[in-house]
Amino acid sequence: MGKLEGSDEVGVLPDKVFEGVPKAPYGLLEALRRVQAVYGYLPPEGIRRAAEYVGVPFAQAYGVATFYHQYSLEPIGKYRILVCMGTACHLRGNSLNIEFLRTFLGLKAGRKTTEDRMFSVEEARCFGCCGLAPVVVVQKPDGSNEIVGRANPRTLRALIERYRRQERGGAK
Amino acid sequence: MTWTLLDRCCEKCTHSLENPCPDYIECRLSGPLCHDDERCRELRRRRLEELRYGEKGAKIKVPMASCTLAMGAEAVYRAVEDSVKKIGLEATVAISGCYGLDFIDPWLELAAKGMPTAIYANVKPSDVPRILEEYFVKRDVGGAFALKEKTGAAKGEDKVPLLSELGFWAKQYKWVSRNCGVVNPESLEEYVASGGYRGLSRAFKLGPEATIEEILKSGLRGRGGAGFPTGMKWRITRQQKATPKYVIANADEGDPGAFMNRLLAESDPFRIIEGLTIAGYAVGANQGYVFVRAEKPLMAKRLQKAVEEARRYGLLGKNILGSGFDFDIEVILSAGAFVCGEETAMIAAIEGKRAWPRQRPPYPAEKGLWGKPTAINNVETLAHAATIMAEGAEKFAAVGTEKTKGTKMFCVTGAVKRVGAYEVPIGTSIRTLVEELAGGPPEGVRVKAVQVGGPSGGCIPASLLDLPLDYETLQSAGAIMGSGGIVVIGDENCMVDVAKFFLTFTSAESCGKCIPCRVGLRVMWSILDKITRGEGTEEDLQVLRQLAETVRSASLCALGGTAPNPVLSTLRYFMDEYLAHIREKRCPALVCRALITYRIDEEKCIACGQCALNCPASAISKTEGGKYRIDESVCVKCGVCYAVCPVKAVYKVSGAG
Amino acid sequence: MVKVKIDGRVVEVEPGTTVLEAAEKAGVEIPRLCVVPGLYEGSSCRLCLVKTPTGRLFPSCNYRVYRDEEFLASTPDLWEMRRVNFELLLKFHRIECWACERKSSCSLVQLSKELLVDGIPVCSECPLPPSECLLLKGELCLGMIAQSGCNAECLVSGGECWGCRGPITREDVLERAFARYKELGFDVKDVVSKAEIYWNSAPGFATVKKVAERVAGRG
Repeated sequence: MGKLEGSDEVGVLPDKVFEGVPKAPYGLLEALRRVQAVYGYLPPEGIRRAAEYVGVPFAQAYGVATFYHQYSLEPIGKYRILVCMGTACHLRGNSLNIEFLRTFLGLKAGRKTTEDRMFSVEEARCFGCCGLAPVVVVQKPDGSNEIVGRANPRTLRALIERYRRQERGGAK
Repeated sequence: MTWTLLDRCCEKCTHSLENPCPDYIECRLSGPLCHDDERCRELRRRRLEELRYGEKGAKIKVPMASCTLAMGAEAVYRAVEDSVKKIGLEATVAISGCYGLDFIDPWLELAAKGMPTAIYANVKPSDVPRILEEYFVKRDVGGAFALKEKTGAAKGEDKVPLLSELGFWAKQYKWVSRNCGVVNPESLEEYVASGGYRGLSRAFKLGPEATIEEILKSGLRGRGGAGFPTGMKWRITRQQKATPKYVIANADEGDPGAFMNRLLAESDPFRIIEGLTIAGYAVGANQGYVFVRAEKPLMAKRLQKAVEEARRYGLLGKNILGSGFDFDIEVILSAGAFVCGEETAMIAAIEGKRAWPRQRPPYPAEKGLWGKPTAINNVETLAHAATIMAEGAEKFAAVGTEKTKGTKMFCVTGAVKRVGAYEVPIGTSIRTLVEELAGGPPEGVRVKAVQVGGPSGGCIPASLLDLPLDYETLQSAGAIMGSGGIVVIGDENCMVDVAKFFLTFTSAESCGKCIPCRVGLRVMWSILDKITRGEGTEEDLQVLRQLAETVRSASLCALGGTAPNPVLSTLRYFMDEYLAHIREKRCPALVCRALITYRIDEEKCIACGQCALNCPASAISKTEGGKYRIDESVCVKCGVCYAVCPVKAVYKVSGAG
Repeated sequence: MVKVKIDGRVVEVEPGTTVLEAAEKAGVEIPRLCVVPGLYEGSSCRLCLVKTPTGRLFPSCNYRVYRDEEFLASTPDLWEMRRVNFELLLKFHRIECWACERKSSCSLVQLSKELLVDGIPVCSECPLPPSECLLLKGELCLGMIAQSGCNAECLVSGGECWGCRGPITREDVLERAFARYKELGFDVKDVVSKAEIYWNSAPGFATVKKVAERVAGRG
């Protein structure tokens, strides 16, 4: 993965990446999802390959990639922090939590990923776990999700610090 | 492999995938029908008992749905497996769906022959060994949350209430959600054992026309929000000459605060698959799609698995149950766009395009997916259809109101003690749902309003809580039924901020195709933002209202058509709050950041320093007296100090005061 | 053939004709911006909405008639809705008519006249192409900040604009206009003092002065 980060060079897509995806325009959503699963985001070359595979113009595939919010056109952090912006979570304080995370991680306006590409902070749509509001979900590098219920600045701070410790530990 | 109900009982059974028996489903429970053999009957009886108590006479059910998983159900499952091994229990460990009672998550259900089935609430992995020991070894149910029945055989039974006696359960009418939390959502056998697929068998016996008649007779209306009569939609689709036709299950549950579809699909996916198959049969379609919201992947996984199981047993595919009807289903995962819940946008998304809605007419029933007649139904509607076909239209129509029959699942979230999904007859009052089922607001909080129908719904004030929940009443009160999400708003929330929150959502989710929605919502948002900053004028309210009316009537699809509802309803019921922001520059609920100031009560402050430590702006410092003080010129009003103070010494003020 | 009644006028058309086409045949004017037959028929602009006698709204560009039907296309509430809607569209439009070739052939300009919407400068009516703009020759013309509607009479007769119809009050338009004056070497103060001749007591003049000061203050 290391080589891919920070450049538009995306390397070779595995041959089987589109296996089972319908080779027709309606397979586009799934084809893009497969590309994103490989790179963590959608580089232009990946969109082109998906477009070619399902047989639609690049422009159309690009239009689809920018439309749906599960697709990301820019690289995202190793830990992807999704802050639920559902009604219950908003009312119970997630707008404060997201602001806290952004300040704490030093994110500048308009940026969602930290300079070191360790963390991304994004607003997310309701996860349907409203009983645990406010909810923050972290997509971890190993592909698993950590769901944090009843989040507040204190627990989030501890969470980030835990991840940082793990990263430092892992590097040694 | 153990013998399952879905297998043949003996050589005399003629059923096979190549030559399916029309009585296959009925035969599973009350068979064998084609021959008389006590051994075959016994085989079935024994298996049904096994399903209840496990093959070894003891069964532990762990709910595996997004809500319980979020509360650590997976760790509980592992703890159960470990303990079973450690204690040497002869018990089957199985997964189940969820009851939708978020406040007891994660829970466990234990069953053993001769013992009352017991539910344990809020289980931590460390509790598991003790719970298992008490129940299975000491035969003591005293620590349980509720029992499903009383047998008198276990200790402590009198200390625990029956589930059916608890208010939040007794007041529900479990119709479409009857299997949620009861069956294993990945087992077709358990679905059939609980009465599943009887609806489809009956539809095949009645024929498509009579099936539509039955649905019409039941009075079922779409549960996705608009309330269009389902039978009518099917009939129109059936009458179209163009072929092929399609049916689509709308599982794109996008309303924040609504999770009834997720619960249903994760807990009882076969009911939806059966419902879609019935819809396909009724309208004359051979292909169905389930379109699932991207944020709810487990829902897609369960539905996909259900489709595969149904195919394996010939309940999808060629010549289903010997009816001559061919049908298959594809599960499609969205890539995330709220507008996909709109039917024409969903069609565009399935076709692999941007989810842009298009002008109706023509309606999808005439020109839908790939320009062909298409019936799109919400998953709850389809599950209702399957249940109606099994139980009969009369039973369904026995509850509900004059205009709208049956039940509806509602999700109650926000300022209530018992967040959860509840199924009640249509026409039940909001108060019953909020106070009796969901337990009312937590201590110290008063209900100010309820937001019904998600971001497109309206805010109904506490004074109107006695309104019945039905399509027409809600509409005249300025809200909508929507998907059935009810968010209870406590008095610590600002209604202008709430309206702004919903517009933040809808304006971000506007697909951008038409002007009123794309630009109008943005402009409305900026006016609300101005008001929450204390810079609004009374003239702005006029403009806001005018814009809201234009966006509502001129927008292309229902997203824009309903998005102004939160604004219009708050203007209607909470004008005083708007005026406080405008005239007095004051936020009565102490929410709007520009209008509030944080202070520390030195009397209460214990000088622990948590506030200063956590303040991102370094605005808090120690005073000479050893307490802490906030420098208002530096404070960014993020509220962290307010959240972390252990003694609530940090307080907020707004306006002159 | 089916009969379509629009604003009281009856026309006979082939079944499947859109209401918009029928209206054209009947001589009823319906504004629209987005429909280009064969290329785009997405009913996006919502300006061509018409009403059935029962009050249901449909975009006339998209609604096809298959039976005798009646529509209303010119009620006051429809026009009011169109105005609000058009204002919304114009809200995020970068108005720089002085740099635009289209002038009065522009449908936004035409519609804003019809709907009496603020913000379109006299430049939109100017007979001179952008390349021959008086400002380029150093003549102080107020066209960029003056309300249109006069068909640029002064410019047609060879003079410059004095802003007799009053100032534009949309701040973003003023801001771009003043920035352009500056860019072309005019002193913002001179522009304001020329404007003062007609606008001294005009209600929008305060806004003009405010924006002018803001732009002048920038480096």
